[in-house]
Amino acid sequence: MRAAIPELPQARLRELTDHYASAVAEKRRQLWLGSALLVGAVLAAGWMGDVDPWKFSENFWRFPAYFANMVPKFSFTSAWADLSEWFWGLPRWTRLLGDTLLIAYVGTLSGAIGGFVLCFLASANLVRSRTIVFLTRRALEFCRTVPEIVFALIFVLAFGLGPLPGVLALAIHTMGALGKQFAEVVENIDSKPIEGVAASGGSWLQIVRFGAVPQVLSNFASYALLRFEYNVRGAAVMGFVGAGGIGQDLIEAVRKFYFTDVSAILLLIVATIMIIDFITERVRHHLIGLQGAGT
Amino acid sequence: MLVVEGLTCRFGTKAAVDDVSFSVAPGSFVGVIGRSGAGKSTLLRMINRLADPSEGRILFDGVDITALRGRELRQWRARSAMIFQQFNLVGRLDVLTNVLMGRLATVPVWRSLVQLWPEADKAVAMSALEQFDMAQIAAQRADQLSGGQQQRVAIARALVQEPDIILADEPIASLDPRNTRIVMDALLRINKHFGITVVCNLHSLDLARSYCDRLIGMAAGRVAFDGAPAALTEHIARELYDLEANEVIGGAPVKAPDAAAIPALGSVAA
Amino acid sequence: MIALNSENRAAIAARHPEIFRPSWRRRSMIVTGLGAAVGVFVFGIVQLDIPLNRLSDGIFMLGGFLRLMLPPDPGSWALALTCLHALGETLSIAFLGTLGGALLAFPASLLAARNVVANRIIHFLARRSLDTVRGVDTLIWALIWVGVVGLGPFAGILALVCSDFGTFGKLFSEAIEAADKKPVEGIQAAGGNHLHGVRFGLLPQVIPILLSQVLYYFESNTRSATIIGIVGAGGIGLQLAEQIRVLEWQKVSFLILLILVAVSAIDWMSSRLRFAIIGRRAIA
Repeated sequence: MRAAIPELPQARLRELTDHYASAVAEKRRQLWLGSALLVGAVLAAGWMGDVDPWKFSENFWRFPAYFANMVPKFSFTSAWADLSEWFWGLPRWTRLLGDTLLIAYVGTLSGAIGGFVLCFLASANLVRSRTIVFLTRRALEFCRTVPEIVFALIFVLAFGLGPLPGVLALAIHTMGALGKQFAEVVENIDSKPIEGVAASGGSWLQIVRFGAVPQVLSNFASYALLRFEYNVRGAAVMGFVGAGGIGQDLIEAVRKFYFTDVSAILLLIVATIMIIDFITERVRHHLIGLQGAGT
Repeated sequence: MLVVEGLTCRFGTKAAVDDVSFSVAPGSFVGVIGRSGAGKSTLLRMINRLADPSEGRILFDGVDITALRGRELRQWRARSAMIFQQFNLVGRLDVLTNVLMGRLATVPVWRSLVQLWPEADKAVAMSALEQFDMAQIAAQRADQLSGGQQQRVAIARALVQEPDIILADEPIASLDPRNTRIVMDALLRINKHFGITVVCNLHSLDLARSYCDRLIGMAAGRVAFDGAPAALTEHIARELYDLEANEVIGGAPVKAPDAAAIPALGSVAA
Repeated sequence: MIALNSENRAAIAARHPEIFRPSWRRRSMIVTGLGAAVGVFVFGIVQLDIPLNRLSDGIFMLGGFLRLMLPPDPGSWALALTCLHALGETLSIAFLGTLGGALLAFPASLLAARNVVANRIIHFLARRSLDTVRGVDTLIWALIWVGVVGLGPFAGILALVCSDFGTFGKLFSEAIEAADKKPVEGIQAAGGNHLHGVRFGLLPQVIPILLSQVLYYFESNTRSATIIGIVGAGGIGLQLAEQIRVLEWQKVSFLILLILVAVSAIDWMSSRLRFAIIGRRAIA
């Protein structure tokens, strides 16, 4: 073997390695400090959150047992009968799933319309009044930060049991979340068209309609679809607090230990969500490909 | 008659435009020249009220423009059409809709918002596009056009505003020599045939000399020269442009077409 | 001037019939689209049997609740301390849930990334099982874990671990697939095997991105952790649901205020950390 790299004298070698070590020492120290902080935080959080490894390991067998209970009896000889027994409530569950989708749709659409209206008021490049921008932003943030199920809990008391509080809760949360995302999009648009429309004598509404909306529409639609996907998941649990949809039957089945019902309903929910995800993803790719053809 | 009195615009402590006064007679073609950063752009934007003056007044036919608000302000903006260096079209909209933006101040708001433009306005817009040979691309998206085409769309938009005055802010700075010629000729035609006043910011001194009846030279926000192009001596020009002088002076002189040789608007497409 | 030309409007219209003919196709497409959207909306309201007449009464009642909520007041020091303790529990749930989910999701995401595991079947199975886990909401996971380990924050932690496992698995595998191929090729060209390529070519690229995603989700997990108490999985949600049930509105608004402050604080902290890790430009 030919030595292309000459062997270094010991002193020189030591000097170079020391140099390298001191160069990475700072980085290493930071890593150690970070790890120590992380371990400390984990211990503190574990203490705070009542984490009990003993209890966990003692009870862990219950987890597979729980799932084993959920598996229905099934044999290939009587496949059809077993299946129909497992999914005995299919007509009712399908209707409830449909309700869930409608709650998500109505909530998303109303929330998106609200967010659409408010996002322009929350954009500093369209509204001169700092006060309006500030107030709209805080209102949107409030709607976004309070979880939808908390709104649902309160709305159930005001509007009574049923889908109405669920729809309203989703709508308000969606308005906050989309309004904030929309406003970020609007603040990043090209300002030249806006100036052009303003210089031709357009009113504020016309500036928004012709200067801003054409630039943001495809992005808005994509965000709204993503939010619909998220809201389908949200609507599925609205029933936990009595706000309509499939959640009602699910929580009842869990509470009453109807294990096979739980698994059947869970499967239906997961399948529905997968289908919705698949469709919205296709549509969003299409939208991004279009990038706003006109209007 | 446009009268500017003691106009000042400050950004922080720095005055972009400092105590500028002049008046422009109807029908003139005024070139505003000077180095980049001399305050030319801010001056034009203040006349259209895209920027707000800190001090001073702008009067047009005796009306104080600086005091206008709301609907009256929008109508003034329609009367003082602005043409931008970067065209400022709405790229996602088609050419015709972009030209129709010039009618926003006159079309009822609800009609414009749902894009149900009155036939008469569409006809005016198409007629303006025909004059620049662009009628056949009316349905194309504006961001698919070349720079020269976009600037012609922007001029068509300005024209359908039926303005009393056109404010052109470096209209040719983003264009190649051929399109520079087309755009400057179009401005000259509009000026000579319709008697619309044109105030045009220009970086290039040669262009300013050949197209304008009058030059206003600005330096550090103040008016440093005001007079006929012939009165602008090389010495004054060098002072105006300072270090940039060699870049804008000299080079091949551009010859403007004389007024008689300019084809009448509308004759191109008819 | 130009308006004169509109006198020969007919001539212009005749030259450009396509502009002046009302574009029925385009218009009908827009009308159909809007009609469908509104149609489904109305169908939804009818099908869900939403009592619109109750809307005004309900809003009136909400106004009443809102008046009762002001000013936010925990009532007593003892309750305030309980609430703060519950908030601490919530933060612990969010922290441990995010961490656990991320740690578990990392190996799974490697299996689900096409450029790490070339086997189509493994890749497909990993993806589908991640999707299944992700399809089940945090609240549902909480319900299940309460059944397994009993009431308390530990069930909440496990619930967040599960739902984050699905979310992170998907996000991580997408980030890994989006990584630059060239460093991996470089390692392999120098004689490294596939594992070396992943370890030295791929991971250094993606680790900062994954970290930033984890931090980003910490905020949203804090929000999830505030609500899982509703089904008995610990944290501030339990208090909140309880106070709403007994109509103690001032305490409710105090709790909501606590949640808002905590979420904003976490949001602020996580975005600071994210900037520190990957710099402002690369925020996904």
